[in-house]
Amino acid sequence: MKIKYIPIFTENIETQARFFTDNLGFEICSNKNILSAEECIIIKTNSPDIFLIIARDTGFDYRKCRIVVSTEDCLRDYHSLKTAGVFFYNEPHYSPLGLGAEFMDPSGNRCLLIEERSYNNLT
Amino acid sequence: MEYLRTLRNNNVIYSGTRDTKYNQQTTSDFSIRFVFSGNERYNIGKRQLSIHTDSFLILNKGTQYTSTVESAIPVQSFGISFDDKFLQDFKNSWQLKDDTLLANYKRPLTSRYEHEFDETIYPFKGDLFFNVNHLKYHLDRGLQDELLINEYLHHCLINYYQIFNEEIFQKAQRLNFLNRSTKIEILRRLNLAREYLYTNYNQNISLDELAEYACLSVTHLLRTFRQAFNVTPHQFLMQIRLQRAKDLLKNTDYPVNEIVNMVGFDCPSSFIRLFRDRFTTTPLKFRQDF
Repeated sequence: MKIKYIPIFTENIETQARFFTDNLGFEICSNKNILSAEECIIIKTNSPDIFLIIARDTGFDYRKCRIVVSTEDCLRDYHSLKTAGVFFYNEPHYSPLGLGAEFMDPSGNRCLLIEERSYNNLT
Repeated sequence: MEYLRTLRNNNVIYSGTRDTKYNQQTTSDFSIRFVFSGNERYNIGKRQLSIHTDSFLILNKGTQYTSTVESAIPVQSFGISFDDKFLQDFKNSWQLKDDTLLANYKRPLTSRYEHEFDETIYPFKGDLFFNVNHLKYHLDRGLQDELLINEYLHHCLINYYQIFNEEIFQKAQRLNFLNRSTKIEILRRLNLAREYLYTNYNQNISLDELAEYACLSVTHLLRTFRQAFNVTPHQFLMQIRLQRAKDLLKNTDYPVNEIVNMVGFDCPSSFIRLFRDRFTTTPLKFRQDF
């Protein structure tokens, strides 16, 4: 498991994205929807494995995911975290990106465990 | 890697390399059969169903079959049998949830309808592909945790029903027949045609032969096949051939010309053109890049 995405919630995703691209030199990478947000922009940071997700702030604070942990095998890690007593908000579920499940860290922050799957490469 | 794991809840997982013909067997439970190399042919009554690495087969409880290994390379078989209670628990729990795949069936897939159609070949794709590969990876390395194994099996069922929904139910919905029993009967015959193409993809198949196997007239076959699968039988056959050629390019050292013949193309140039159209790369470049 490794941290791959850091979500940032904002009312104006374009302004927020420009801040990171213009001031910090990061690049816009894609707009794939990882957090089931209505709109989001993925920004590539200077660290090759870490991306920012700029997502529209819908006001539902309790739903906001604070960190996205990437895994090669969601079911394995879901099982091992559950066995270790970590609270999961939901069972692993499928999305166009792959398989994911949301869990809570000890401080009550919501985190997403996600296994991204390249379905297109299978055909 | 050879093993036969019987879990405490009587789910069974088999993995092994086969290179012989097997005598008649009977499935004791609902089973999913895969191959990870080569291909294996199942004979169920008069039907012949051949599975490759891009497809899988469902066998219902009590089905009598024989299986034959057909490829030059040893066949790596992998099978999962689900205990009745596990399967029933799964269906009960998932059919009760509003947001699940099974609930999307609304009313149409009664157990009779489901039982009638599930025993066929399906494309090995999507989440089932990932979950079965993960499961096999862990079992090959000696995974003992049955809770985790059953978690994978549970998800394999979710994934299988998603594919069943796409391949059977959604295709039945596309058929332009008002009468429900006509729709079911046509879909059954189209499935025979599809199985025939999956199994004999490398043969020179005529439309007459295919129509006869499916018990439909040629015009009826062409019209309904297109309605259900969105492609003609010929286009479907080309898709299978190209996919299998891609697998051979990826997993073997056979020269391209030999692969062309193995998958049933007559002419290398038309194979290369079709391959490029479908995968936006040439066969040689694909092999080099892989």
